[in-house]
Amino acid sequence: MHNHSTRRGTMRTGIRRGRALTLVTAAAAITFVLSACAPSAPEASSGPVEAGNDTLTIATTTDVVNYNPLIGNSRSDYWVTNLMYPHLLSIADDGKKEPQLATEWGYVDELTGYYEIRDDMTWSDGEPVTAEDVAWTMNAVKKDAPSGTFYGQLANFVSAEAVSDTRVEITLASPDTSIVEEIGFWGNVVPQHVFEKAESVATFANNGSDGGWVSAGPYLLTDVQVGQSYSMDRVDEYPLVEGGTPVAAKVVYRVFPDVNTEILALQSGEVDVIANALPPAQVEQLKATDGITVEEVVGLGYAHMTYNMTNPDLAKTEVRQALAHAVDYDAIRTVVLQGQAVSTGSSPLMPVLSDYYDKSIKEYDFDVDKSRELMESAGYTADASGNFPVSFRLIYSLQDSVTSQWAQLVKDSAAEAGITIELQGTERNTYLAQTNDGDYDIYAGNFAIMDDPVTNFTLSYLPGGAINYTLVDDPELNALIAKAAVTADSDEKISIMRDAAKIVHDEVYDNIMYTQNLYFAHSSKWEGFVTKPSELLSIVNPISVASAHKTAAQ
Amino acid sequence: MTSLDPVNATPTGLPVSSEALSAEPVAESGRAGAATWRVFRRDPLGIISLGLLLLLVVVALAAPLLASYPASYGTDVLRPPSLQYLFGTDSLGRDVLGEVIWGTQQSLLVAVAASIIAIAIGTLVAVIGAYFKRLDVFISVIVDLTLSLPVLPLMILIAALIGPSTATIIGVVAAFSWPEVTRLVRSQALTVVNLPYVDAARLMTTSPVWIIGRHIIPAVTPVIVVSVVVTASRAVLSAAGLAFLGLGDPTTWSWGRILYEAQQSGAMSSAWWLTLFPSIAILLLVLSATLLSIAYNDARNPRNRAR
Amino acid sequence: MSRLFFVLPRLGRGVFTIWFAVTVTFLLLRLLPGDPALAVASPNMTEEARAALLTQYGLDQPLIVQYGLYMWQMLQGNFGVSFTQSVPVMDVLLQRLPWTLLLTFTALVITVLVGIPLGVLAASRRGKVLDKIIQVIGVTGQSIFVPSIGVLLLFVFGLSLKWLPIGGAYDTDAYGMDWYGSVARHLILPAVSLMLIQLGSYVLTMRSTLIEALGEDYVTLAKANGLPYRRILWKHALRNALLPTTTLIGLQLGFLVGGAVLTETVFAYPGIGRGIYEAVTQLDFPVLQGAFLLLAITVVVANMLTDIVYGFLDPRVKTS
Repeated sequence: MHNHSTRRGTMRTGIRRGRALTLVTAAAAITFVLSACAPSAPEASSGPVEAGNDTLTIATTTDVVNYNPLIGNSRSDYWVTNLMYPHLLSIADDGKKEPQLATEWGYVDELTGYYEIRDDMTWSDGEPVTAEDVAWTMNAVKKDAPSGTFYGQLANFVSAEAVSDTRVEITLASPDTSIVEEIGFWGNVVPQHVFEKAESVATFANNGSDGGWVSAGPYLLTDVQVGQSYSMDRVDEYPLVEGGTPVAAKVVYRVFPDVNTEILALQSGEVDVIANALPPAQVEQLKATDGITVEEVVGLGYAHMTYNMTNPDLAKTEVRQALAHAVDYDAIRTVVLQGQAVSTGSSPLMPVLSDYYDKSIKEYDFDVDKSRELMESAGYTADASGNFPVSFRLIYSLQDSVTSQWAQLVKDSAAEAGITIELQGTERNTYLAQTNDGDYDIYAGNFAIMDDPVTNFTLSYLPGGAINYTLVDDPELNALIAKAAVTADSDEKISIMRDAAKIVHDEVYDNIMYTQNLYFAHSSKWEGFVTKPSELLSIVNPISVASAHKTAAQ
Repeated sequence: MTSLDPVNATPTGLPVSSEALSAEPVAESGRAGAATWRVFRRDPLGIISLGLLLLLVVVALAAPLLASYPASYGTDVLRPPSLQYLFGTDSLGRDVLGEVIWGTQQSLLVAVAASIIAIAIGTLVAVIGAYFKRLDVFISVIVDLTLSLPVLPLMILIAALIGPSTATIIGVVAAFSWPEVTRLVRSQALTVVNLPYVDAARLMTTSPVWIIGRHIIPAVTPVIVVSVVVTASRAVLSAAGLAFLGLGDPTTWSWGRILYEAQQSGAMSSAWWLTLFPSIAILLLVLSATLLSIAYNDARNPRNRAR
Repeated sequence: MSRLFFVLPRLGRGVFTIWFAVTVTFLLLRLLPGDPALAVASPNMTEEARAALLTQYGLDQPLIVQYGLYMWQMLQGNFGVSFTQSVPVMDVLLQRLPWTLLLTFTALVITVLVGIPLGVLAASRRGKVLDKIIQVIGVTGQSIFVPSIGVLLLFVFGLSLKWLPIGGAYDTDAYGMDWYGSVARHLILPAVSLMLIQLGSYVLTMRSTLIEALGEDYVTLAKANGLPYRRILWKHALRNALLPTTTLIGLQLGFLVGGAVLTETVFAYPGIGRGIYEAVTQLDFPVLQGAFLLLAITVVVANMLTDIVYGFLDPRVKTS
């Protein structure tokens, strides 16, 4: 904007006092702005004696985007809101559901499900947590359709009704033997008396602007500095934790956008827990570091590649098989994941789902000669340099560092089999857009929690399924999945699902590569964490955070 | 005019006042060029910088001879530097030396391509503006406005929306570098346009292209030379910054990619060699380019010669 | 500079600049690929739900309608509601802006305090070894890749020596006067990093304009009058050399406010640059528009302040 002449002038040119004045004024202005946020000390906490006065500081890499648990989809959103808004059900390491707010659940008949809930939970403003809250939450989500996993589980849901203070019944559009557990696990319960003031739960920010938050979890959000910290205070009564009161007086989530800074902060003692799963290559390093404890958490999801069947080459089973045999799965698990992943036998029924897991389904072996034979039997001929006349575009998200690393290995091993793979790693939104439009030949990605096989198969392999990235439509597979969804007997359901998984495996409708076990680091000054599967729950699930305490030596 | 400023290739690509660059309005003749060289070669900093830059160019061109292309993985993960791996290995067991050598190619390519595009556009716009006075008003308003835009955030925005690739990086860096070039060149060109020999030329021919090509471009060439160096080194830092934020080309080795992968694997503090060597490479390139342009400017300045 | 542009009153120029920045941002967001509905959607969302989201955001309207609406609302002080957070844009941004201003301003002050004496020293030892050393130090600073030096500083001063905190802008358990101390300690490392990368520009600008000023007639005259060299250097030449430095401050202050993304990332500093990066990853158009508006305003205000300072320094500007 400026092009002031820099011609030198006369000796009379002088510096006026004004310059200093301007600087002082600017400094004063900034000081004033900041002083507006200088906090004053709170009154001393009046918690029970057995509960400590310590602050548990947890590091995360991103800000909270949404305080409304019905919308949020980022990790930090889930972690913070999970400490305030209970779920009906929790999950065990093998994917089985466990009681949380609900004590009992099941089906009254084919089209009616039910939950019995605890009668000793209260919101932090004194209101009891009732079946009304539960039913209202479900109906509001069905009506307003907030973007989020909760709404995604409600396809077969018609309505919910509080038949007593502690019992909720839900009506289904068609028989669905998974929905009660899926809604119970994925859905939060929000306070009706707070959320009903909003026009729609899909746009309600719940940012505490109306007198703060209301919590039925172990902690209550009290103070937010965007980009830096989220401070939460203990609630006095939380019946789900041993002793009935959370131990740490405060929980502070701190934002460290760079994982390296996050690790430095843990080592220096500035934070006590890192909520994000450790990068695989850092696990051994941190295990060997004094003062840091690393906890293992079982994975309940998988990483996979799908082959877009609208591509005429990939529509051929042999081509998909050729690709599946041209991946060095062992190398990916030992090098990229540092041995922290288990093979699923190339089946969507992971070993962690012990009831469903079928040992007889074996992983595709890495055998480039076999791949070449398969390509030849599909009618392709290699040129002089051994390359087949095909080229596939593989997409992945650059935000997903593990996938970004193994994508390169997939490309290199496919090249050995004479199949060209072109990598296209993009920023997450572009990746989502491409995924949504089917704009790829091969899709690489992963899911954090695939707890229920029937729901998972319905979404992944039925035509029109939201995550049917293979774009598969196999009548035999469709029939099996439909049958499993209405089968109440669990042995029979398992047997049907195993048949379905075998089709998926043999036809390579999905190439499941591994289940990653996750590692989380915390300061050795703290103990008593309770691990739950997946990065969403890990050691920062409500029970774990409420139970953590300083070690006796402190 | 002295050594100053073109040189403010600040890492974030700060637009910096550059009026000071406007050199004496004299076309650099062959004789002046020789004189510049005589002064230049007495400046040890300039000679060392020139040597370093040439070395980097040689490394880039001879990459295939110096190291094999980094394999997709190796079994020795995160090894510190040793005789076997001079620069150590990364979290996938790849040789960091090979990555740095091959990264030189990509980093220099981005630097050179971005600066050539920026210089071509910037010079053209500046010279046209200087020659056709009516356009000048419009052009300088655009340049001023563009210079007032927050460059790095806009680069992030565009790179994220378009999708990361080498072409994106080059395009984005060039798109925000040309106004600075225009500004530098324009002030120089304006002084030339009003000189008697250009007026004389206008009387002799009606072809603006001829006058611009014959008189104006040669007169602004020294400014362009400095701009190339500055824009190129700025491009390296911008590209590394974008790569570090995950907006670089993920499939081609560049110095930024090595740093990005070190960051993603959380190894920046524990595996210092992953950060140190690509950072040194960036430092060497930007430092030597900047010092070179300072030395060149000093040598070109008649006042310095007289000294 | 162009006459048309220069004759516009300062305020008019400022408004024009802001309008330009805002419009460029608006168009880039709408014309480049990227679908915000996808950024907030979960994978198992239907096509209809996605369309409903776009309608909710008003993104199904023609471009010109969106633009007109945006401008109209902005003039009324309504900067829109965040796509992803459903709260007014300025609620999000105004929490971050003071930290960016504090960081930038502090960095600028220490840069000037260090850079000007170094520049003077270099100029007075022109061509000597000390001059070369100072130049190399300055240029080295601006050739450093910020995250690398950031992690190094954190490792040394935060982890090994434990002198300074690792990240953030203040301790959440500090109150009253302690809080100010905590703000200051958190500020040191990011401000020093920013100083290192800017220092070169100031040193070199100061050095070269000073060298030039020392060659001017009036200095020669002063010498002839028997004034001691040191006095000429500090009193007369330096005054004139401060002018381009002031211009530099104006340009850089505005720029730095948005340019500290990498510094803010590494030091976990809650500034607006990082906010922009996060809004980009969420394709939160209103937040991005608001952020670029704030940056443009900062640039304009910084330039106006520079103009004022410049006026104090150079009386010729006032009279013209």
